[in-house]
Amino acid sequence: MKKILNRPDSYVDEMLEGFTLAHPEFYAQPERRVIARPGGGTKGKVGIVTGGGSGHLPVFTGYVGPGFLDACAIGDVFASPSAEQMAAAIRHADGGAGVLRLYGNYGGDVMNFDMAGEMVDLENDIRTTTVVLADDVVSAPKEEAEKRRGVAGMIYAFKIAGAAADTMADLDEVTRVAQKAADACRSIGMALTPCIVPQAGKAHFEIGEGEMEMGMGIHGEPGIWRDKLKPADAITDEMIDRILADRAFGKGDRLSVLVNSLGATPLEELYIIYRRVKARFDDIGAEIVMPLVGRYATSMEMTGATITTIALDEELERHLKAPAACAYWRVG
Amino acid sequence: MTGGTIDRDGIKAALARVAAGAGAAADELNAADGQLGDGDLGITVSKGFAEAASADLPEDVGLALLECAKAFQRVSSSSYGTLVATGFMAAAKATKGKTTVQADELTSLVAAARDAMMARGKGSLGDKTVLDSLDAVSKALEDAAAVDMADAALSAARDTLAAFKGKPCKLGRARMFAEKSASLDDPGQLAFLRIVEALAGRGGEGAA
Repeated sequence: MKKILNRPDSYVDEMLEGFTLAHPEFYAQPERRVIARPGGGTKGKVGIVTGGGSGHLPVFTGYVGPGFLDACAIGDVFASPSAEQMAAAIRHADGGAGVLRLYGNYGGDVMNFDMAGEMVDLENDIRTTTVVLADDVVSAPKEEAEKRRGVAGMIYAFKIAGAAADTMADLDEVTRVAQKAADACRSIGMALTPCIVPQAGKAHFEIGEGEMEMGMGIHGEPGIWRDKLKPADAITDEMIDRILADRAFGKGDRLSVLVNSLGATPLEELYIIYRRVKARFDDIGAEIVMPLVGRYATSMEMTGATITTIALDEELERHLKAPAACAYWRVG
Repeated sequence: MTGGTIDRDGIKAALARVAAGAGAAADELNAADGQLGDGDLGITVSKGFAEAASADLPEDVGLALLECAKAFQRVSSSSYGTLVATGFMAAAKATKGKTTVQADELTSLVAAARDAMMARGKGSLGDKTVLDSLDAVSKALEDAAAVDMADAALSAARDTLAAFKGKPCKLGRARMFAEKSASLDDPGQLAFLRIVEALAGRGGEGAA
């Protein structure tokens, strides 16, 4: 293992220390493994919390900020935070109007966030709702779409739900908009090299020279199938075809697209992918609004990329374009 | 349990008994679990109840049970630990705001725990899990007078183990070893029996 760290077991805590020191205008750590806005919850506004393992920055905790999230619970690398940490995040997000739990569809996170919701209901009378991201199209067939895992699409849901909450809409309304955004997202990933969890010290699997993993998630697990490495346009076509088979776009439709690095893939290669994505949607006659190209949801130092589409109607597009800021994404 | 009402001090005393009983049964439960799973059930149950027994409990019965749920969550993130925490949480919800609970309410509290655990664990009755034990105990308590409750719960937990002898587990990792699991006691049901024995103050009465 070659990593820049002091001790594997202090990896997450030292990361969070540096994270809040570098961006004090956006992030505070009021309790261990809980990141919140420096001023706490906004009075009268619906709070939005997320949570999940470390190893995905800027996901999850990077998206705490005005117009985005209010608080986040952080676990070890690729491991769920505890229910108590999630409950603490909910309390720090609460402004008296209830709190939306918005996170990715993973068994441990779901169980712990459910428990956390029961804790704050019993102890603090905070009302909570849930929207779970399940945007990875190849992780389960369409008939079992609710079993899909949540990947990069969650950043669109963070942005759109955050904008809805900023209008001072009530909890049910913010939840409705967040669910609509989550339902509109489709993602797929691929990778060229695996990643190493600091406490494990070595990769779970290897990808041979001249091979690629398709259907890659964001936890360093193997992909769904393996293929020989192809040119960028062919890889992009296969990814876009899989998305379109699940969610078709037609002439005049509007969407946003995220071409995301899983960690080590450079921007240069992401733009080569985006070039092809744009050509594909030009052929369809669908218009891409506010494309995102960069490192938005990662899996440590994995080499690879994901593509996410989000179908937009007037409401989702308005919330996507509303002002928001965090250390990794600024709008308006 | 036999005084007719349950309060914070009663819960604390019960937790101390169960923590002692679970500690004594830890090796046996680890071994039973190791036949089918990762062999840490004894650790989960003994650490969980030890943490709950040493927790500072508020007077409100619901909030006291919530502390138990949190204690379990804290020391044990395994699925059995989460399920036990879920059971405590369901009972906590039903008793929040009360400083005493009537013994005859226990029936509905056990049923509430069973339902919440079934929902969270996505299990069904008949799968040969701890849910079957909880179901049997809640039904036995319905018919029992307050003084007989301990006996009724104890025989229901024992009868459940006997009833599933020879039947395969249908949930969790044990499900993948159908034949082997049929010949063994379900470790979760066994753990539950040891818990009830300790609650009833009948630990060390011998194997089921």
